[in-house]
Amino acid sequence: MAFYDRMMSIDRRIIFLSVGLAVAIPIIVPLGFPVQISEETMNFYREMAALKPGDIILLSFDYEGDVMAELNPMAVAVLKHAFSRGIKVIAITTYAGGTGIAERLLTEAANRYGKTYGVDYVFLGYNPDWSGTMLRLGESFKATYPTDQYGKSVYEIPIMKNVETYRDIALVVSISGSALSEYWAIWAGGRYGARVISGNTAIQAILIYPYYKAGQIPGFLGGLKGAAEYEKLINAPGMGIRGMDAQSVAHALMLAFILVGNVGYFLFRRAKRREQK
Amino acid sequence: MLLTTAFMLLSLTTHLPCAVTPALIEVNDTPNDWGNSLTVRWKPPLPPDSIIRYEVWRAHHGVSPVEITTFTDSSSFAEVMTHAGWVRAGMNRANDTLFVDSHLSKDTSYVYRLATYAPKMIILSNQSQPLRPERQYLDRSHTNILIATILFIAAVVTFVERARRGASLFIRRIAGLEAIEEAVGRATEMGRPILYVPGLEAMDEVATVAAIDILGQVAKKAGEYGTRLLVPNRDPIVMAVAQQVVRESFSAVGKPHMFRSQDVFYVTFSQFGFAAAVAGLMMREKPATNFFMGRFYAESLVLAETGNATGAIQIAGTDADAQLPFFISACDYTLIGEELYAGSVYLSRQPLLLGALKAQDYAKAIIIGAAIGVVLLYLVRPEIAEMIRKAFG
Amino acid sequence: MKRQGPIILAFAIGMLMLIQFFTPAAFFKEAYNTILDWKQVVLGFTFILGTWSLIRYHYIKINRKRENWQYSYVTLAGLAITVLAALIWKTAEGPYPWLFNNVQVPMQSTMFSLLAFFVASASYRAFRARTFHATLLLIAGALVMLGRVPIGSYLSGSIFGVKISLVAISDWVLNVPNAAAKRGIMIGVGLGMTATAIKIILGIEQTYLGKTD
Repeated sequence: MAFYDRMMSIDRRIIFLSVGLAVAIPIIVPLGFPVQISEETMNFYREMAALKPGDIILLSFDYEGDVMAELNPMAVAVLKHAFSRGIKVIAITTYAGGTGIAERLLTEAANRYGKTYGVDYVFLGYNPDWSGTMLRLGESFKATYPTDQYGKSVYEIPIMKNVETYRDIALVVSISGSALSEYWAIWAGGRYGARVISGNTAIQAILIYPYYKAGQIPGFLGGLKGAAEYEKLINAPGMGIRGMDAQSVAHALMLAFILVGNVGYFLFRRAKRREQK
Repeated sequence: MLLTTAFMLLSLTTHLPCAVTPALIEVNDTPNDWGNSLTVRWKPPLPPDSIIRYEVWRAHHGVSPVEITTFTDSSSFAEVMTHAGWVRAGMNRANDTLFVDSHLSKDTSYVYRLATYAPKMIILSNQSQPLRPERQYLDRSHTNILIATILFIAAVVTFVERARRGASLFIRRIAGLEAIEEAVGRATEMGRPILYVPGLEAMDEVATVAAIDILGQVAKKAGEYGTRLLVPNRDPIVMAVAQQVVRESFSAVGKPHMFRSQDVFYVTFSQFGFAAAVAGLMMREKPATNFFMGRFYAESLVLAETGNATGAIQIAGTDADAQLPFFISACDYTLIGEELYAGSVYLSRQPLLLGALKAQDYAKAIIIGAAIGVVLLYLVRPEIAEMIRKAFG
Repeated sequence: MKRQGPIILAFAIGMLMLIQFFTPAAFFKEAYNTILDWKQVVLGFTFILGTWSLIRYHYIKINRKRENWQYSYVTLAGLAITVLAALIWKTAEGPYPWLFNNVQVPMQSTMFSLLAFFVASASYRAFRARTFHATLLLIAGALVMLGRVPIGSYLSGSIFGVKISLVAISDWVLNVPNAAAKRGIMIGVGLGMTATAIKIILGIEQTYLGKTD
């Protein structure tokens, strides 16, 4: 096998091993790359910062365990930002697997900031029909969720007293690894006039740009990078910032592999041309 | 009345705060509703920083007047108002100067007063003019969508009618769909099964409907060749429909005995649990052909790369544009967006479905024309373009 | 009638959902809310259907001793243990959250993390400058990859006095050509969705009923 052939067909196990090391080493030994704030993260931050103490946000955990590594830092940062400023949180999840995550993050953040369940935050739990839930909340929160996650009537929960529809919610924050943020923008935003911002996995974030440019999602966090930027803005470094070193090295490594493949391809083409001559 | 006066006196202190201008309130009918709400707007009577909150009070027209406009005690203020026949309609935060009062009757006239809570005083606005909620039958904010919907339905019906009368409607070649026959044939030659994943979404997703449409055509081909078809599902309803479609397709080509309900099965609702199960299935069964049709998310690459590693011929189709790069890089053929929706029409050539597809094309041409027209208008006459934007926005 | 009934029902419900969008009339609002409530209830019941299919699939596999049938015991045991844990100790505490945090979450995360490996191998294979378009894709991809991580800001600087920022280039690629292309696809997809919905309401499209011809 010619050298260029080897360059063009590196065994996928070598690639996998290199990626594994490129991700693991910077997490163990942080490199401390600087984080530069993007416009969309800044706008997400501005939306949150514009809220006043006592305002209520609807935080939707639109994900489950699989994308936790990328999205938990965002949810944690949003809760820190909200609770530290006296903003109240109504949390829901559109995934069955999101229940455990939401419960854990809400409890941890509430304990840290001394928040009381039912007064400063509530967890309404999981509804199997996400599209129906988004639409129904625009008509009535209490009819959509007659009880919270723990079976308590929402009529007995103080934070829910004056919450009837999206009109009573200052901001909807969707943290999603799927297209659900787009649907929040279309249905809660487009149909019921709710203000929607989102935190998305890097793959899904690409889809948010058209909504962002049209003002339907005025700010969003794109992948771990968005989480790291937001953590920097609220001065609460967490897993987002730590993960950025790993992501930087992994991206550089992927580009190196692509470069090797292309150099191999050019050498192959040159050799072929010479053969033809 | 005597009691009211007594409460008023109680609520006043000897040291009255300096005079302030009461808030000016404006009450209007809420547009586009069923005559059950009124909208109250006001200008803050004080600088926003010195306002704690607002209270909107409502009464039926003809209520006893409350003359005092400044109070110092909230409980006596509330009693004065309640005794005079007023009801607290709602509360607003200091930065919110709009209140929509719902659950009203269209046969009653209402009046409003606004109480502004500042530190140590409550300022009551003047009484609004009486107003009755009005009923609207059409939500005018959706007029543009209504017009577009009517035009689009008319176009679909017209083209379906033309197709029914036998008009020939052209549809361009779609390579991914042309390859289905070859892909099914390959599986038959190799004596291996075909894997068909109808996406991860429920039956109310159009991509899933399209995927099930194509599944019907693939199942017919598989039936003709006598090749086993595996259909793992993430949604139980999609599974039930897929079972029905595969059963009917096998029957349609005279092979009803080939249908095995355990080959069209439910896996799990968990996204990556599903990806793991399907990837495992690919590694164990080594299908010769993999179809990924419908709505996919981040698991698309896990599925397509595993299929690539097993050496299967792969045909994907999705309207999830974020997943297209992954499918394009790891599959042999990829149907992009609408090509997926057109799939069953292309394969079945049913005139009725073809007509609807044509209507779609014309609607798209109109949208492209309108987009180009408005962009040009923005360059030449921006004020007219802005007028159009506002009219349709 | 077996097929006409569902078509008539689909037409009636479809028209109702269409009309309610354009009128604030109380009847339509109530009907709309009732349908949304029913949808949630029906979806809850579909899980029973799914669970039944799963049990049946693995029962048949064990019964007929198909290849790797032993693993079906693991699946069925996992299902039974999780359901029992939730029924006996409820979901807030006890073994259920333990199972969720220590079994389900790590397994799901592992599957998701595979993406990093697959993206690397797929991009290595696919990003070859074979044609002009492929070269364009390669350059755009490389710029976005670098611009989306902090290392990108290290690689920004001035060339002949012109300030070049990889982050700004990456943002431009995502905000302008990417967003424009996505809008194009989205308009097509939107029209396709509307057309399919109309076809279902009018009874032209019947595949959801299992009809294949």
